[in-house]
Amino acid sequence: MKHLFPLGLRLALMALGLVAGCTSQPPKELPVRVRWTRDPESLDPLFLANQYAIEAANLLHLSLLQVDFSKNDFSPALAEALPTVTLLGDSLTRLTYQLRKAAAWDNGQPITGHDVALTLKLMYCPGLPNESARAQAGFIRSVQVDSLNPKRFTLTCQGQAVEHMQASGDFFILPEAVLDPQHELRPTSLPELQKRIPTTPPDSALSRLARRYLAAVPMPGGPAAALGCGPYELVSWQKNQALRLRLKSRWWADQLPLRPFVLQARPQRLEFAIIPDDATAALALQHHDIDLYPQVSAAQFAQLRASKAARTQLAFYTAPSYDIVAAGFNTRRPALADGPTRRALSYLFDAAGLLQATQLGQGLRTVGLIHPNDQRNYNRGLKLLPFAPDTTALLLRQAGWQQTTPKGPWQRQSKAGPRQNLALRFRYRADDASFETIALQFRAAAASIGIAVELLPTEASALTPNLQAGDFDVYARLIKGNPFLFNFMPALHSSARGAGNFTGYGTPASDQLIEAIAAARRPVQKAKLLRQFQATLQADAPLVPLFFMATRLAASRQLRGLHISHLKPGYLITTTERKSTSSPTP
Amino acid sequence: MAKQWLWRLVQTAAGIWLLASLVFVLSHLGPVQGADVLLPTAGDLNTAATPGSFAQREATRRAVQRRLGLDQPVFYVSWQSATDTAGGYWRWHGLPNQYHSWLLRTVHGDWGTSLSSREPVTTQLWQAVVYTFPLVVITLLFTLLLAWQLAEQLAARPWWQPLMQTALTGLQALPLFAIALALLLLLANPEVVAWFPPYGLGQTTPTDVGWGPWLSSYAYHAILPAVSLMLSVLPAVTLQLAGALRNELAQPYTATAYAKGLSQPQVIRRHALRNALLPSLTQLTDLLPTLVAGTLVVEVVFALPGMGRLLVQAATTRDYPLLVGGVLLIGTARLLALLLADALYKWADPRIR
Repeated sequence: MKHLFPLGLRLALMALGLVAGCTSQPPKELPVRVRWTRDPESLDPLFLANQYAIEAANLLHLSLLQVDFSKNDFSPALAEALPTVTLLGDSLTRLTYQLRKAAAWDNGQPITGHDVALTLKLMYCPGLPNESARAQAGFIRSVQVDSLNPKRFTLTCQGQAVEHMQASGDFFILPEAVLDPQHELRPTSLPELQKRIPTTPPDSALSRLARRYLAAVPMPGGPAAALGCGPYELVSWQKNQALRLRLKSRWWADQLPLRPFVLQARPQRLEFAIIPDDATAALALQHHDIDLYPQVSAAQFAQLRASKAARTQLAFYTAPSYDIVAAGFNTRRPALADGPTRRALSYLFDAAGLLQATQLGQGLRTVGLIHPNDQRNYNRGLKLLPFAPDTTALLLRQAGWQQTTPKGPWQRQSKAGPRQNLALRFRYRADDASFETIALQFRAAAASIGIAVELLPTEASALTPNLQAGDFDVYARLIKGNPFLFNFMPALHSSARGAGNFTGYGTPASDQLIEAIAAARRPVQKAKLLRQFQATLQADAPLVPLFFMATRLAASRQLRGLHISHLKPGYLITTTERKSTSSPTP
Repeated sequence: MAKQWLWRLVQTAAGIWLLASLVFVLSHLGPVQGADVLLPTAGDLNTAATPGSFAQREATRRAVQRRLGLDQPVFYVSWQSATDTAGGYWRWHGLPNQYHSWLLRTVHGDWGTSLSSREPVTTQLWQAVVYTFPLVVITLLFTLLLAWQLAEQLAARPWWQPLMQTALTGLQALPLFAIALALLLLLANPEVVAWFPPYGLGQTTPTDVGWGPWLSSYAYHAILPAVSLMLSVLPAVTLQLAGALRNELAQPYTATAYAKGLSQPQVIRRHALRNALLPSLTQLTDLLPTLVAGTLVVEVVFALPGMGRLLVQAATTRDYPLLVGGVLLIGTARLLALLLADALYKWADPRIR
């Protein structure tokens, strides 16, 4: 035993020697390496668990239409052009697609309407995690493949919303030849599957389809599957560590004479490194272990920009995003049921100060849920709400509230009920300092005029169920927006109470307005309704949109062709390449 | 003796079963369920056809529950609140319940599959343990060697004893995240000293690059995480052992040993150490579950895909099969560590036998 320490010393020296050996490794061509904060958890095209899974799936698979970062709109990907739209009566839409002639699977078989039909049928196949996909594509009622031209097919959709055109092409197409090689599902129509009672045991064809699908979906550490027709194939997936992709040696889009922006694929290899800690990610970027650090926090971004060494190696980008930081009031509470009270309380949020404190001023204040850069739809006639606790006190008195003592609690006598007290419980995500700052600022402002606020920091996954159950008076959260869609039904329609309408807001007039926006077909008409909706929302104040966030990104100067976007994930990796020279660009 | 050990093993198995059952039932009784986490985020405006209405969302939720078998009762019995009165009553559900299905599967060696990735729980746990195990074993071995040497020196009361004791006590007061972050920001920071990489342990495999380069890369990347872990464990082990050794050296039997002409290191190794080891044995066996459980803080700071991160992820995403499997594994390691502590006590102190 007495020789153990010298042995330990020898081991340490050996380790150091090995390290020296390591540093003398010759450099080899590196992939483009991107930082992710968490594992994608699933690469199942029917169930993508998080934003990273969606990002990976967009590289492995293709949809009929894809988001075109150069136009900030949907562009044809597998489809040759946008679908032709025919309205049927007053409740149906018919969309006819033509697939690209060159579009083919990796084995050279053409991609046809039968693949699209099978993908839609998969959404109704029992035993698969297809519930969300089914809910999103549920408006597609039938699919008919042209018998003479299998590359041409028609979707019949329920409703006539403009957004149906984009949504009808926004799902990944999967190969019938792999999942249903005997074409057993062809005789079964989509409506038949839609009408199927969920508790009925699946027939043998559906069971086989489910089995083949589950076997083909890639798992961490498992073999790479050939389900996608996208530009990349999976090389390896080490759970919670890294996801590696490689450009296909033969991809159908290579044959296109003029490749559209959505079908660009330049980097030969991609590596997504899962680094949960921000400080580690920043050091890894400076240490050249990664090349791209998206979604940088405001503080980290400022810190990196302040560093002279980092400035020489890194390029910094910011872009507006469509994520809105907003507060909401529980309109089901008697004290908060009236618009004047909620509007009065809206003046307690110091949106400008919060934007500076949490985002270092990077972002845009807003009057509503439409981005201020949206020239057509943003209501410039409305004023940004100032931070004014005195105005809150004045408006509260006008709403019938009285203070029992000069700095005491606020009370009012309801018309038919007990006396109401104005004391609020503020719920927010505990793991995000920005929301804590908002809650603390609101509490301090409320305390200055005698309103007591209790803070309820809540674990991230428990926040939504608590908000759905109405267990709060005020909340702050991030609302993910979209520049293409103006569908307020899930967040503010009365039918979504208990689901996504956390505030419980909804009047016959506001519901009608939301439905009219969803149904409006002409841009001018839609813009008018949207401006009206923003005014209604500001007057009724169930939600207080504080500001739109900004996307921040730091990247190695070794990269070129990096395309920054205000759409998720904030950059386009497929146009990015590593510069051939090793010296950083000043 | 064999009967006694068999009885201890039965007790341990019962303890593990009770622990896992408790975690299973409690995790399924919380306000947030696995099906909730698998639904699209509610209240966002980024999809055209999110299941917007309450009825649509509930239908989707029920479909998820049905697919995962979460629509069955959690346990054999449940408390039903009466709708018209303040009281309630117990309702018997019989064998078709989630706990019964889980128990049967577990007994047959099937720990289920992850709710989100559908990957077998055993595969995920194995991958995480295999990743963390070598790092923690190496760290513990180095820690024990260093602690032993330091304790032996400190027991002899050299001139630097107060200084070292103060340093070790100060180090013990530091939380692990502070140690790990300090090492990272001091030794892997291009703005200070970039001697070590901040990230990248286990990114290559021996089949990718060959054994030599792999081993060198592993050692290079493992130094900072291993030193962080070592610094967090070293003070407790050293101070405890040094204190116990000092106590033993004050006992009359050591005077006899000195009188026989033994040097102090010989007295410590041949006579005092075995007696001083008793409290340290418990401390060391306490560290064994760490081999399995991983160390969350170090895993997060150095981006290591170990058991700690896996279990936190399982807890936040309400991935119950993975969470219960993890608890089962760690609980087993913990209870086996207690058994080992008992055995070592009996080896070290014959009076206990």
